[in-house]
Amino acid sequence: MENWALPEFDLLLCDRCGICVERCPAGAAEMGTDGPFIARPADCTYCALCESVCARHAISCWYEVVWGTDT
Amino acid sequence: METIAQALRRILFFADCSEDALARTARVAHARTYAAGETVILEGYPCQAAYFIAEGNVRVSRLSLGGREQVLAQLGPGQAFNTVPAFQAHGMNHATVQALTPAILYAIPAADLRRLVGECPQLALAVLHDFAERLDHLTNLVEDLSLHTVRGRLARFLLEHAEADAARRFTQEEIAARLGTVRDMVGRTLRAFASAGLLRMDRQRIVLLDREGLE
Repeated sequence: MENWALPEFDLLLCDRCGICVERCPAGAAEMGTDGPFIARPADCTYCALCESVCARHAISCWYEVVWGTDT
Repeated sequence: METIAQALRRILFFADCSEDALARTARVAHARTYAAGETVILEGYPCQAAYFIAEGNVRVSRLSLGGREQVLAQLGPGQAFNTVPAFQAHGMNHATVQALTPAILYAIPAADLRRLVGECPQLALAVLHDFAERLDHLTNLVEDLSLHTVRGRLARFLLEHAEADAARRFTQEEIAARLGTVRDMVGRTLRAFASAGLLRMDRQRIVLLDREGLE
C-alpha cells in the first residue's frame, strides 16, 4: 500500500458539495470535517469518476505515460 | 549574490546584448518570484510587461467563453511570454499564465522593452527570433486542431510523452486542455484504445503497448 496512488483533493477549491462521496462506485470516499477524503484506500480503484464529477476541478487523478509489455 | 544583469545574461534573449544594453535592461527589469500554482497574468487584462523566465516552469493557456481551456505552451528557463502584446498599441494579455513550479521571472515594462529593442539590435533580433518560433508553434497547433481527430491527437500526445526523458504526470483534464477537447472525450478515447489493446490503464499509469497501432 506504500505507493498506492489515490485521488488528490484540493480542499481550497472544494466547496464540500459531496458529489464525489455520493458517486464513488467503490464507496471509498467519505466527507470529513475538513472536506472529502479517501477513507478506505484499499477500496479505491482509481477509476477517476470523482475527478470527472467535481464541478470545482478540486480532485486530481494523475497518470504517467510509459511504455510497457502486455502482461 | 548574482546581479540582475548577470541573471539576465543567462536568458537566451539577452545572451548577445552588449554590456551597456544589458545594464540598461537590468535597470528596468523587476525580479518576481511565484509559488507553484500562482497566477502570473490573466488573459484579457491590459499588458503591463513582458516576462522572462530565469527559473521554473509556467503554463500558458486560454479559456473559451464556455469555460473550455486550451493550453498553448509550457515554458521553462530562458523562454519568455507576453512579448507579443508588449509591442501592440493598447495590447492586452493574450493568455493566462500560471506557475507550474516555483518560478523566478524578470518583468520588463512594455514601454521599456519597446525602447530597448530600438537601442539594441541584438535584442531586436532575439525578439524577432522568438516571434518566428511562436508563429511556427501556433501554425502547427492550428493544423493539429483543425486537421487531426482527438483520437489522432491523443495517440501522438501519448507517444511523445512516453518517450520524453523527464517523467511527467498528467490528469485527464490536463490532457484535454492540451488537445483542445473535453475530459470526457479523453476518457472515452483512452478506454477505446485500451479495448483495442493499444494501451493498458494501470493505477496512476497509462502503459502503451502497441506503437504501430498508436501511430
